[in-house]
Amino acid sequence: MADPMTPVSVETPPLYRLRGVERRYLKGEAEVAALRGVDVDITAGGFVCIEGPSGSGKSTLLQLLGALDTATAGTVEMDGQQLGSVGDGVLTGIRSRRIGFVFQQFNLIPTLSASENVALAMAPQHSSKAEREERAEELLTRVGLGHRLEHLPSSLSGGEQQRVAIARALANRPEVIVADEPTGNLDSESAGEVMALLIELQERDGVTVIVATHDPEVGQHATRLVKLRDGLVVEDVDA
Amino acid sequence: MVSIGYVWHELRRRWSRTLVTALGLAAGVGLVMGIVGVSNGLSNAQGQVLSPLSSVGTDIVVERTVGVANTSSTSSTTTTTTPAGGFGGRGGSGGGGFFAGGVNSSANASDRTALANNNSSILTDLSKLGPPGTQYSNDFFVNGTLITFPQQAVTDVAKIKGVEAAVPALSLQALHETGTVPTITDTVTTGGQTVTQTVRPPPLTAAQEAAVRNCLEASGVSSGGPSGTNSTGGGGGGFGGGGGAGFGAAFTKCLPASYQQYEAQVVVPQQTITRVLNPPTTNTQTSSYTVAGVDPSNSTSGLITKAQLVSGTWFTSSPTNEILVSAAYASSNNIKAGQTWTINKTPYKVVGLVNPTLTGDTSDIYFDINTLQSASSQPGRVNEVLVKVNKSSNVDAVAAAIKKELPGATVLTSKQLAGQVNGSLANAKKLASDLGVALGIIILIAALLIAALLTLSNIAKRVREIGTLRAIGWSRGRVVSQILAEMLGIGLVGAAVGVVVGLGVCGLVDAFGPTLSYSIAGAVVGSSSASGLVHQATATAASATKSIQLHTSLSVLTVLVAAVIAILGALLAGLAGAWRAARLSPTSALRDLG
Repeated sequence: MADPMTPVSVETPPLYRLRGVERRYLKGEAEVAALRGVDVDITAGGFVCIEGPSGSGKSTLLQLLGALDTATAGTVEMDGQQLGSVGDGVLTGIRSRRIGFVFQQFNLIPTLSASENVALAMAPQHSSKAEREERAEELLTRVGLGHRLEHLPSSLSGGEQQRVAIARALANRPEVIVADEPTGNLDSESAGEVMALLIELQERDGVTVIVATHDPEVGQHATRLVKLRDGLVVEDVDA
Repeated sequence: MVSIGYVWHELRRRWSRTLVTALGLAAGVGLVMGIVGVSNGLSNAQGQVLSPLSSVGTDIVVERTVGVANTSSTSSTTTTTTPAGGFGGRGGSGGGGFFAGGVNSSANASDRTALANNNSSILTDLSKLGPPGTQYSNDFFVNGTLITFPQQAVTDVAKIKGVEAAVPALSLQALHETGTVPTITDTVTTGGQTVTQTVRPPPLTAAQEAAVRNCLEASGVSSGGPSGTNSTGGGGGGFGGGGGAGFGAAFTKCLPASYQQYEAQVVVPQQTITRVLNPPTTNTQTSSYTVAGVDPSNSTSGLITKAQLVSGTWFTSSPTNEILVSAAYASSNNIKAGQTWTINKTPYKVVGLVNPTLTGDTSDIYFDINTLQSASSQPGRVNEVLVKVNKSSNVDAVAAAIKKELPGATVLTSKQLAGQVNGSLANAKKLASDLGVALGIIILIAALLIAALLTLSNIAKRVREIGTLRAIGWSRGRVVSQILAEMLGIGLVGAAVGVVVGLGVCGLVDAFGPTLSYSIAGAVVGSSSASGLVHQATATAASATKSIQLHTSLSVLTVLVAAVIAILGALLAGLAGAWRAARLSPTSALRDLG
């Protein structure tokens, strides 16, 4: 078990460097500390599994890594850039170009077809409609939904919806896929398919995959395992 | 910045939300259009009522009405501006002059006579209409509420600076009587009888007796001493005879005159008397219509113009026996252009039908003014001068100058006439003016508030979706633009539906809308209560309330403005909701419902 204060790798500059990261929320009048001083380095190209029970701070950590949120204390660096000191426009750009986010609830736009949901992520990149449609079809075919392009989310199974969400996350060729309990709402078969897809992305495409889960099985696929409990890293090991 | 496909699918696949929000806006747009349409319709109705003035290029109407003397004790409904000293005389001291003039102005004697005649009663002398059973038909022209003045006033007005044209008119009420001359007399023969009467004379007085005796004695007839009339003794007297020239003759001669003739036969003179039956039974029927005399040489201004012809032609160069008939009167009396129409036994050729105006200045039949002046026994007299002013800004100044030139005249400008429209038309117009705009604004604000609340509610339900968009790299601006584009779509639908609803509301008002009544105070000035000079019947006829159908009116601009307001309202509502949602951090948005 590694010392949590010690970076795992010092040989190559980490993709992420987190130091003393705290994230506190006001819940009513009470302050809740979701993260209470986290130090983690994440190198590019790995499959990082963040494990922990509900309320341990997994989702909060992923949101910081996904540039969806900023720390209330400490620093979160991505390629040396402090995410906490840049504006919303920069964070939006990072989310758009470098990070793909996958939600437990899929979060597909219910009025758009599978293809349109994927294409929607490419809208900020000023690509042409034809390019977007072609890319969406390519990605959906890759996740095994080439025959479901025009289906609305409501007509897709949970596993299919999550695969559409992964396709959407890949739309802009991100360096990182951040997935918050991607199999939490899926049956075991679908969960297996989704995990296989994420592993393939990491192994074949070199995408850094960061997955939060409380499912020990998911951890079996990881190259790195970070365990959280009560907002603190209690274990950080290479698998 | 906007994904059109996303907008389209949002509107189409969340059609119930789209429809409800759009209908909220549509209701506002439709109602506002309805209110504006009705308000415009009322303005048009008022304009139509007043159009005769504007359409014939008349800026000022000069009339002469019964003034209110300072000493008058009767209440009056007149609105005349006649100053004291005008017609009616200062302090009621007698007839005034031409419009005003001096009390003792001999130059106005004929005017005073004419004014008195203006208001004479109409009497039909049945005995002069022919033998009983004769059918008769007569038309009487009376002056109504407008009293006459010499035509010289037209020339005087025309000389005033700023007056472009002054045209005379003589508007009269006409009463048409038809019937059969009834039996109104019979004859009775009286007299021819012989009457016998017996008279017993009283006894002779002593003096008479003595005179008789002396007379007889003088005639040689012995009387034989005094009679015992006044004697208490003595023998009987008596007339003695004896000689002389005959007693009979002497006695007759000597009797007192009252005894010489005291008995006669009287023969009553025979005569035939014609009696008037009271009351005669008649079947007279009367109807009234209006007539006006206009200047045939002026076909562009006056009570009627050539532009108002609907069939036939204008007066020819010989207009004496020509008339123009209003289309409405022609329709109800089956009169056609070109036919002959007899008035007071005089045949007139109907040269044309005209569509006159809606104000109190309209008439059923238009004559050459000279013809009507003769027919109404009012040569050289008019009761209206219609004035056109060279510039609209000069109207008030010219009106003041006319009042100065013709003291006692009622000078009505078209603006004043507008203020004198009464009745439900005026009430509705006032209501529309006072409440219409406020109501329209309130309805529009309410509609926009409803749309805004619906939009905020809809956006609140999409916070998670907005968080997702932010998470996949959409900027705040792109999110706001996207929602504004959706609201633009809803606004367009709302505006389109609202325009249809608005047109429908206006159509319903047109189909079932009320008929508005109106009267114009300027047309009924000088009622009989002012001085009693105006004939009651004609005053009543002139003050009759008229009506006009309400037709809504919408301009393209109004429709566009209403539609644009709906669209802007939708955008504003969308902006408020979208900005609020987009300001949330992606995690807050995702956590909100996630």
